[in-house]
Amino acid sequence: MSTATQPHQATPSDETSVQRTRPKVSLKSTIVYALAALVTLLAWVLDTPADARTTFQFGSSGDLFRIPNVPVPALGFLVVLLVVMLAATAFSFWRYRERRPLPAWVHVVVGASFVLAFLTFVGAGRSTVIPMVSLLAGALALSVPLVFGAMSGVICERSGIINIAIEGQLLFGAFAGAVAASAAGSGYVGLIAAPIAGGLVGAGLAWFAVTFRVNQIIVGVVLNTLIIGLTGFLFSTVLSDNKALWNTRMPLPRIRIPLLADIPVIGPVLFNQTILVYLMYALVIGLQIMLFRSRWGLRTRAVGEHPKAADTVGIKVNVRRVWNTILGGAIAGLGGAFFTVGSGLAFGREMSAGQGYIALAAMILGKWNPWGAVMAALLFGFSKNLGNVLSTIGSGVPSELLLMLPYVITILAVAGFVGRVRPPAAEGVPYTKS
Amino acid sequence: MRRVLKLATAGAAATLVLAACGEAPTEEDTNAAGGENAESSEAAGGGEEAGDFKACMVSDSGGFDDQSFNQSGKEGLDSSVEALGIEGVEVESQADTDYATNVSNLVSQGCSITIGVGFLLEDAIQSAAEENPDTNFALIDSAFSDADFAPVELDNAKPILFNTAEASFLAGYLAAGMTESGTVATFGGLQIPSVAVFMDGFADGIAKYNEDNADADVQLLGWDKEAQEGAFSGDFENQSQGQTLTEQFISQGADIVMPVAGPVGLGAAAAASESDGVHIIWVDSDGYLTASEYSDLMLTSVMKQIGPAVEQTVTETVEGGFSNEPYVGTLENEGVGLAPYHDFEGEVPEELTTQIDEYRDQIISGDLVIESPNSPQQ
Repeated sequence: MSTATQPHQATPSDETSVQRTRPKVSLKSTIVYALAALVTLLAWVLDTPADARTTFQFGSSGDLFRIPNVPVPALGFLVVLLVVMLAATAFSFWRYRERRPLPAWVHVVVGASFVLAFLTFVGAGRSTVIPMVSLLAGALALSVPLVFGAMSGVICERSGIINIAIEGQLLFGAFAGAVAASAAGSGYVGLIAAPIAGGLVGAGLAWFAVTFRVNQIIVGVVLNTLIIGLTGFLFSTVLSDNKALWNTRMPLPRIRIPLLADIPVIGPVLFNQTILVYLMYALVIGLQIMLFRSRWGLRTRAVGEHPKAADTVGIKVNVRRVWNTILGGAIAGLGGAFFTVGSGLAFGREMSAGQGYIALAAMILGKWNPWGAVMAALLFGFSKNLGNVLSTIGSGVPSELLLMLPYVITILAVAGFVGRVRPPAAEGVPYTKS
Repeated sequence: MRRVLKLATAGAAATLVLAACGEAPTEEDTNAAGGENAESSEAAGGGEEAGDFKACMVSDSGGFDDQSFNQSGKEGLDSSVEALGIEGVEVESQADTDYATNVSNLVSQGCSITIGVGFLLEDAIQSAAEENPDTNFALIDSAFSDADFAPVELDNAKPILFNTAEASFLAGYLAAGMTESGTVATFGGLQIPSVAVFMDGFADGIAKYNEDNADADVQLLGWDKEAQEGAFSGDFENQSQGQTLTEQFISQGADIVMPVAGPVGLGAAAAASESDGVHIIWVDSDGYLTASEYSDLMLTSVMKQIGPAVEQTVTETVEGGFSNEPYVGTLENEGVGLAPYHDFEGEVPEELTTQIDEYRDQIISGDLVIESPNSPQQ
């Protein structure tokens, strides 16, 4: 998935190509798979009573009666999953001996088996169910603002502007979305106001960063604090004085896509959503293509990697940076609308609660790549909602540990799979013609 | 360079303008309350000191309009300012790091009493009280303790505490009697005593209902009183986290949820509004009135009368009767209580209300004691 960002590997002969791919093959995956299998065996398989059952729920709240809950014998299912993980370990070892790279789907299979094994173990012998649909739907919901924020980060940072102000853009978008939707009486109006608000914050960042060449991280942090103060002030004065006019909740209606929404489990999660989530799908796919396959994308990356070279061939470096920062701000602002109109909530003080910083981390985890950033955001949202599920079914794990879960998983993912990341070379460096 | 300077000047000017906006309401408050400062001592009539008395309050990071306990605290201060003709200063904290600064700023402004709202201000109030033995302090929702968590009494600081378990016991009993699915749930914002005490009482109320009705087996999700473990959203701000957490409870079959998480409870209410037949039990204030957009979901509320407690403390201090003895709100002194059922008045069965009233009387008379490790020590 990250091939597009790699330096072009134009390889004239097979000989060098083999030389190049050789270091890529490593035992890392095999070791990680073996560890996963070992944990499954020692911690879970041996600890599960033979007659315990785990009940999986595949229906969503709307169609609970259509799809019955599925009780599975916990031990048997765990053993099946263990076998899958062992097979993957053997397969990856074989690929290593053959000096051939491992296909990405093996990671997915092992990851899914490991998570399923954990859920099976946790749910074994309990009267509570493991709700697959709401687990995934909640994971997606928690990821949406992160995805928008990370896309904003990608657009800005690829052109060389560090966007710490994502947090402020999300919060201001949430605020403007809620206020506009409430005043106009329609959630869709909020979707117009939110990107404008986010874009304004982006414009502020660009103005200071490009025109005055102020340190971008400092401007970003200051903007975040300014937005927190400003929205908090307006919230406690204007919005609470006339709540009915300015801060009534205006949920966006859910749009059910026929056929696709009927797919079990995945359907209701992905295709029974508000328009904001469908916009997110379009944005991610569009950005992935635009960034690496269009003139705009090439120029953006050139400005972020080597602005002097870009300038030499006639690209207006600072103009490009300003517009990208405004566009990035608008995207984060649109994501902020998810906190209010997208979730059917009224505006609340500091409701973005630091998600902008997590979005920034997701972007770095995804190596400044739209697709990678989405994966990181989804991983974060999933592990956060996994913590929620575990705390609702009464797993006995202390809540502090469950709240740490997303961060622990993210750190493990960075250490284990992402490795070294390389930011755009000219990131954070103001450009001046000399 | 000159442009940067201009910009900085403009920025500073804008900040001053905004700051001026921010201060205006407080001035209006004092004016409305006591007229011009010069007149106020005459107008107040009762005590000459009233004009100089300055009652101050610091919110936690939830802010004074959280539709929850900071708001109740502010209302208490506002009404005592109005009733006594004293000066009131209210400072909102934006982050946890603001607490100590805000408290010491107020002390140096010459506040006669400084009230901290919430458990999170314990350290700030305690250290200020130790450094300024001549002024008075009060702290809502927490007693004072030293580094080893052993309780400490300070001569000039009064803890304002609430034995909320008594009221949430009644709410738990009601929830157990009203649930149709046989599953109810609760979650907190952070695992701190003033939050967990709600959940303890709620759990006990459900257990009592199961004990009283042999055929009932109502399950509580989100809190295990024995183990003191349960579901927490992690802060008092992230409403969408409260929303997804509540969706998890709903998919486990819960049809009554009690969020003990301030504004995060609004997320829980939004999740409940998307499912049929799911109701909310609000906390701190009467949610039917304070979170009115969800009033059709509010079965009842576990109320903590912070406002009257603050008013009482300020009045005592103005009259010279400050004591460091903790104020503990109970069902008996109506410091805690169950809100009216409002829209559900007709739906709660007669026997259930009678039983709840009976338990209320038993708790007041001391025949029934709700025990919780998180209750304030009396």
